[in-house]
Amino acid sequence: MSLKLSAANTFLIEVKLKSEFNDAEGAAAMALLREQGLSQLKDVRMGRLYEITGALSANQAHQAGKELLCDAVTQEFRLVPAAPAPVNGMNFWRVEVWLKPSVCDPVGATVVEAIVEGGLPKPAAARCGMLYLLNGRALKAQIEKAMAKSLANPLIHHVVATEAHS
Amino acid sequence: MNQLAEAAADSLPILGKSPKELRALSNARHLSLSDAEWAAIQTHFKILKREPSLAEIETIAQTWSEHCKHKTFTSPIRYSEGKKTRSIKNLFQETIVAATMAVKKPWCLSLFSDNAGVVAFGKKWALAFKVETHNHPSALEPYGGAATGVGGVVRDILGVGLGAKPVLNTDTFCIGRPDYKGALPEGSHHPTRTLRGVVAGVRDYGNRMGIPTAAGGIWFDDDYRLNPLVFCGTVGIMPQWAVKKEVKPGDLIVAVGGRTGRDGLHGATFSSANLGADAPSSAVQIGHAIQEKRVLDALLAARDKKLYGSVTDCGAGGFSSAIGELGADCGARVRLENAPLKVSDLDSWEIWLSESQERMVLAVPPKSLKALEAVFAAEGCELAVLGEFTKTGRLEVTHHDCVVVELDMKFLHKGLPRVLREAVWTPPIVAKVSGGLAKKPGEALRGMVGHLNVCSREWVIRQYDHEVQGGTIVKPLQGVRHDGPGDACVIWPHAATGDMTDFSCFAVGHGLNPDYGRIDPYWMALAAVDEALRNLTCVGADPARAALLDNFCWASPEDPKQLGALVRAAEGCRDAAKGFSAPFISGKDSMFNQSKDEKGKDLAIPGTLLISAVAPVPDGRAAVTMDFKGPGNSLYLIGRTNDELGGSLYHRILGRVGGEVPKVSPVAAIDGFKALHAAMTRGRVLSAHDLSEGGLALCAAEMGFAGEFGCLLDLDEVPRDPRIYSNETLLFSESPSRILVEVKPENESAFLRHFGKGAKSAAVRRVGQTTANPILKVTGLEGSTILEESLKELKESWQTALPKVLG
Repeated sequence: MSLKLSAANTFLIEVKLKSEFNDAEGAAAMALLREQGLSQLKDVRMGRLYEITGALSANQAHQAGKELLCDAVTQEFRLVPAAPAPVNGMNFWRVEVWLKPSVCDPVGATVVEAIVEGGLPKPAAARCGMLYLLNGRALKAQIEKAMAKSLANPLIHHVVATEAHS
Repeated sequence: MNQLAEAAADSLPILGKSPKELRALSNARHLSLSDAEWAAIQTHFKILKREPSLAEIETIAQTWSEHCKHKTFTSPIRYSEGKKTRSIKNLFQETIVAATMAVKKPWCLSLFSDNAGVVAFGKKWALAFKVETHNHPSALEPYGGAATGVGGVVRDILGVGLGAKPVLNTDTFCIGRPDYKGALPEGSHHPTRTLRGVVAGVRDYGNRMGIPTAAGGIWFDDDYRLNPLVFCGTVGIMPQWAVKKEVKPGDLIVAVGGRTGRDGLHGATFSSANLGADAPSSAVQIGHAIQEKRVLDALLAARDKKLYGSVTDCGAGGFSSAIGELGADCGARVRLENAPLKVSDLDSWEIWLSESQERMVLAVPPKSLKALEAVFAAEGCELAVLGEFTKTGRLEVTHHDCVVVELDMKFLHKGLPRVLREAVWTPPIVAKVSGGLAKKPGEALRGMVGHLNVCSREWVIRQYDHEVQGGTIVKPLQGVRHDGPGDACVIWPHAATGDMTDFSCFAVGHGLNPDYGRIDPYWMALAAVDEALRNLTCVGADPARAALLDNFCWASPEDPKQLGALVRAAEGCRDAAKGFSAPFISGKDSMFNQSKDEKGKDLAIPGTLLISAVAPVPDGRAAVTMDFKGPGNSLYLIGRTNDELGGSLYHRILGRVGGEVPKVSPVAAIDGFKALHAAMTRGRVLSAHDLSEGGLALCAAEMGFAGEFGCLLDLDEVPRDPRIYSNETLLFSESPSRILVEVKPENESAFLRHFGKGAKSAAVRRVGQTTANPILKVTGLEGSTILEESLKELKESWQTALPKVLG
């Protein structure tokens, strides 16, 4: 879904805690994934993803990420490039969990409203997803299975697991 | 009409089709229509000489669903018990309604006819209470299912009368044990995941809407592992003038709140089917609490300006149910192109049937529309005029000038064929207790405090905001460290009434024990009512003013044994309401709670009845909590102990079966509750706690570790059946209607006076005293110490049990 950002006005904004902060959500996610058999995980960091489609320019998407979606003290953000370069090695995984298009996304709807209230053009749509950055030996199939049993529900979620990228 | 017949793409040919073909159609479209219902629909359209449209069939299926029409409770039943057979025309009318009518309470303002039951609260105000279940959606997606369960019941409260302000949410879960180690069928969630999800769902929706969640409970049993039960309740407060609603022909049909999308299709018909792997993903949604908060604020502002004549929520069936119900007595004309949509590619029937959340429908006099628009615009809440109510007695729905539904309201609401169902009940033979070796009382008690059905729910409760609105004066966790198990919460709704000088409060309590139902659902029902009422009494609520809600969750009523058990439970409710003189004001049933297990066998939930009760606390300043308040105070036990260990926690701990299930004597019980209430209102009671699972021993332990004082109990003083010679029975029997009460020595005579003349049948006796040393010490019938346990250690086991299994 999000990794193939070919449409001209679709931006993927990634927000996560700065590395110096303890990531309690990531630790909880790691515990759940370990319970599901990913016993070799050493670390999990969590983040939020916002896929914004519509009338925004790259600068405006950057502004939305900086001023609206990110807490400048504890978090950092970036616009994920359309064709990210993978990080080598199989010990780093990037897992995105998105609501399926047929499922209501209240956070996404709120992001649209907030962008408008922030003085930017109204996006056509915004979807919110969860990001899990996994550090540890695992196979893609194992990750997908563990996610389906713990952090994602295949009925409403779409999971994209890829080798981590820059 | 004959646009309908001509519009082949939208029509659904059914005339001339065989039952087999119609069953296949029903399965393919998740319609959950039975053969008899298809036959009635075929006959109706044969008379009309046309095929129905897809939207019409969907509308009929939604309106006739178990969720909307409660077919099990309203259909005729042939009930056999032993060799006797009798006919029941309408189980609901003959049990719940009949008992409520028999007890005739003038303070009941709205019963069974609106989205919630309503009772008077003082002279100016009224309380509305509703408890809903959201079981099937929560089984599929625990977080979304529970959150939208809260959203739905909050909208019920907004949609009762002209709308009430929600002041309390409740949540009760029945879930598989989190430490369940067995196999599960593909696609089902482990109970731990379900528990985490439903707690998070209730938390996020309730907290974001600013409604305290302060009452409820959890029951763990592996038979719920595939069909968790999620009961969401809301209490609202409204001025008494707003209890009545009226739709007038000519009123505009106005939809407010969220937009309509493809989400939530087939939620109502989904409730009429067994849960299986083919459940539609569209039946699951993610709620938008902030949107609902906007609706709440705008709606109540419009209510106070008297800008609409009636309102209801869009729940199961979406616009089709909401507009169909509001216009049932007059008629309605709807133009679907006016509905604000989330996506533009919705079919007509999808707009009509969508169960998108956070929507309400109002009946608005045309002259009020402008003012209404201004109120909703001020809250940033969308509003659209969909059509108008008519005098035609017909439901007419068009989409861009094409007719998509044209149904006679009479057929829609009264045309459901009633199918006779068979019910069989085999009276239980009281089996001799067998299995499981006895344990020393101390060992058994240690096992009980750490049992999942007893242990602390702090992990759950602390996730909920139970303080928002600032009126939760008796909280779910009580005692010196705010961590003891309260019996009920007490709410002072000053934030809604705006009156800081009126200390009138209300309390909400619950009763539930499916283990008793495994032996006899009749006594389960009485025990549940008794438990709910004694929980209320313990915090200072007036048991004579209690109003009840029933929520039945059952497996397939097509199984005569299951239906027989349901009849027993309903009759238990009837006798409890009459015996306690407490009316039922609202209720709901959820059927078909069964699924195929990992071996392909049907796994049914145990028949489950949640009784919720609400009663006024005349002066919140006199409310009582359950923790011991000091050393040297006398302990009185109200109520008689019998040898009733059937279905008890003690038997569960020992692995025993058989024995007598607790039996309630409502008249004696209510006398005791009333006497205790009178003593409480005069300040004679320091603490009170009900005896339920674990009996006297567990009750005393909880009061002790919550207050950090110990106690001495003498079993020989316990009011009891004289045939009891067993210390274990006196310690752990779960005989109902019993409350342990702490009284200051100087108040003992005054306290006992309340149990004189007016309550001859209530048994009350001094059974011990509180001590400074936090030890629970019990003297047995033979005069020696049979139990001496450190309350600190018991508390630790009680507190750590749930976090331990959740990891």
